[in-house]
Amino acid sequence: MTTTHPAPHAASAPAAARTRVLGLGPLALVVRRRPVVVTVTLLALVLVSALVTLSVGQLGIPLSELPGVFAGRGSRAQEWTLFTSRLPRLAVAALAGAAFAVAGSIFQSVTRNPLGSPDVIGLGSGASAGAAAAALVWPGLVPVPVGALLGAGLAILAVFLGTGRGFAAPHRMVVVGIAVGAMALAFTQLALVRVRREEAQEVAVWITGSLGARSWDHASLIAVAFVVLLPCALALTRQLQAAEMGDDLATGIGVRVSRSRTLAVVVAVLLTGAAVSVCGPVAFVALTAPQIARRLTRSSGPGMLAAAACGALLLILADLVAQYAVPGVILPVGVVTAALGGIYLAFLLVREWKQVTA
Amino acid sequence: MTAPLAVRELVMAYDGPPVIEGLDLEVPAGSFTVVVGPNGCGKSTLLRALARTLRPRAGEVLLDGEPVARLRGKEVARRVALLPQSPVAPEAITVGDLVARGRFPHQGLLRQWSEADAAAVDSALAATETAELRERLVSSLSGGQRQRVWLAMALAQDTDILLLDEPTTYLDIAHQYEMLTLCSRLHREGRTLVAVLHDLNQAARFATHLVVMREGAVAAQGSPAEIITAELVESVFGLPARIIPDPVTGTPLVVPAV
Repeated sequence: MTTTHPAPHAASAPAAARTRVLGLGPLALVVRRRPVVVTVTLLALVLVSALVTLSVGQLGIPLSELPGVFAGRGSRAQEWTLFTSRLPRLAVAALAGAAFAVAGSIFQSVTRNPLGSPDVIGLGSGASAGAAAAALVWPGLVPVPVGALLGAGLAILAVFLGTGRGFAAPHRMVVVGIAVGAMALAFTQLALVRVRREEAQEVAVWITGSLGARSWDHASLIAVAFVVLLPCALALTRQLQAAEMGDDLATGIGVRVSRSRTLAVVVAVLLTGAAVSVCGPVAFVALTAPQIARRLTRSSGPGMLAAAACGALLLILADLVAQYAVPGVILPVGVVTAALGGIYLAFLLVREWKQVTA
Repeated sequence: MTAPLAVRELVMAYDGPPVIEGLDLEVPAGSFTVVVGPNGCGKSTLLRALARTLRPRAGEVLLDGEPVARLRGKEVARRVALLPQSPVAPEAITVGDLVARGRFPHQGLLRQWSEADAAAVDSALAATETAELRERLVSSLSGGQRQRVWLAMALAQDTDILLLDEPTTYLDIAHQYEMLTLCSRLHREGRTLVAVLHDLNQAARFATHLVVMREGAVAAQGSPAEIITAELVESVFGLPARIIPDPVTGTPLVVPAV
């Protein structure tokens, strides 16, 4: 039985009435109302946008007919469209979006910087370079997704070594990461200009980030990665939260700071690698989703679940825009997220600027 | 009786020659130990060793006679709390939530809150007179209030030993004395305190055990009245001074004779 009751010493629970302690046998989880409301709302929006995604398209499946098609009472064309095309694509969008967002949440916490997301500090570029290497420079050596994962791994290794103090120097991580990203981009561009046009075209679409022609293989890969890695991220949240207050303070309250941070980075790299390998390094979801979630929940730490819901919603919506915004043209989803991300960056800059001049 | 906290043959270094080499020191049980010394003498480095925020290059730190290196982080944190020099308050956090974070070493992944947590937070807020700030955002507090809230967070850890790294830095003089008086009260209530301070007169007034360091070694230690002499101040700080009794407390008062 789950009991929800006001925290013991109602007046002294961490922030009084807005907090509940969820008790279940030996369990006592601190639950804040606002993040729960926000997460549930975001998930409801995910559901709505998912239904829209499944129903619209060249072959429209009206919402009223969706349950029928699910139950196997639709036409052949409807069934094929739903099960082979739209559902896997939707699953990849939702799960990859969530994975990017959780990874972004971790990286922003570790770098103590809203700009310290995996795509800004070189992971996305590293993955692209790896993909380009696997597809164009040494074709056949490893599959392209594996190349992407290796590229992301190499990039984070370069960041780790480049700061001189591993992951313990948040500010340097961002600077070194930007440098690593620039070098990886140079490599990708070199690879692209040296090959035949058709090949380059294919890789260019991939490194922009695309959800076109996703299969159940893609969906199950990202699903497994997400289901395994999300609990790891959740288990590290409190440690990350403590480390945000300074390494000394976190050590003082018994957090093994460098161990937690390294584990968290590994989790984030694996999440990013898995997401990149199913839809390419879609830009800016990892940057924006955790920040939007933080603003909405007004929480004082990385909220993994809210960020995940927000990331899923962002990528599903971006994919809808990519498919239907320009009639007759299907854009790679990465173009849409990059455009949205640009707007978000501008917003961030304006806000910073206001704070500086205020 | 074993000292609650001690270092043995401690060697501490950053990227270079050791700052502290072969230091032995015991913190007397139930004392308010204050470490002073000129800039670069190693006093903050010593505190970092005690707080485990910098790993010794050699030697060990002993907690009740046991090497801390062999204890789990949370285990140590249930016995020793630290008020670091420049902690960072998270965005949009209330005083109550911040202080509650001091309960981390008493909590588990699945057991994140208990009656004991609530009671410890209440008494930490009461002890630092910050109970009425509970719902306020930390970012809205003044420097003096904020320092008291950080102290409350350390108190919520409910430890017998409290380490304070220059707790009066960045505070104006009234708040410096407010902070030190508060520390003194915590000491009288039975805790062992170790603080690094800059001001020799404040150290002399509040310490029950004074450790004067010079070039990584202990130049003198004992009760302030016994060890503070004009010769010591001259030789350690290079400052000619006269020592007179503090007209308010009777403790030694260092008056520079320049």
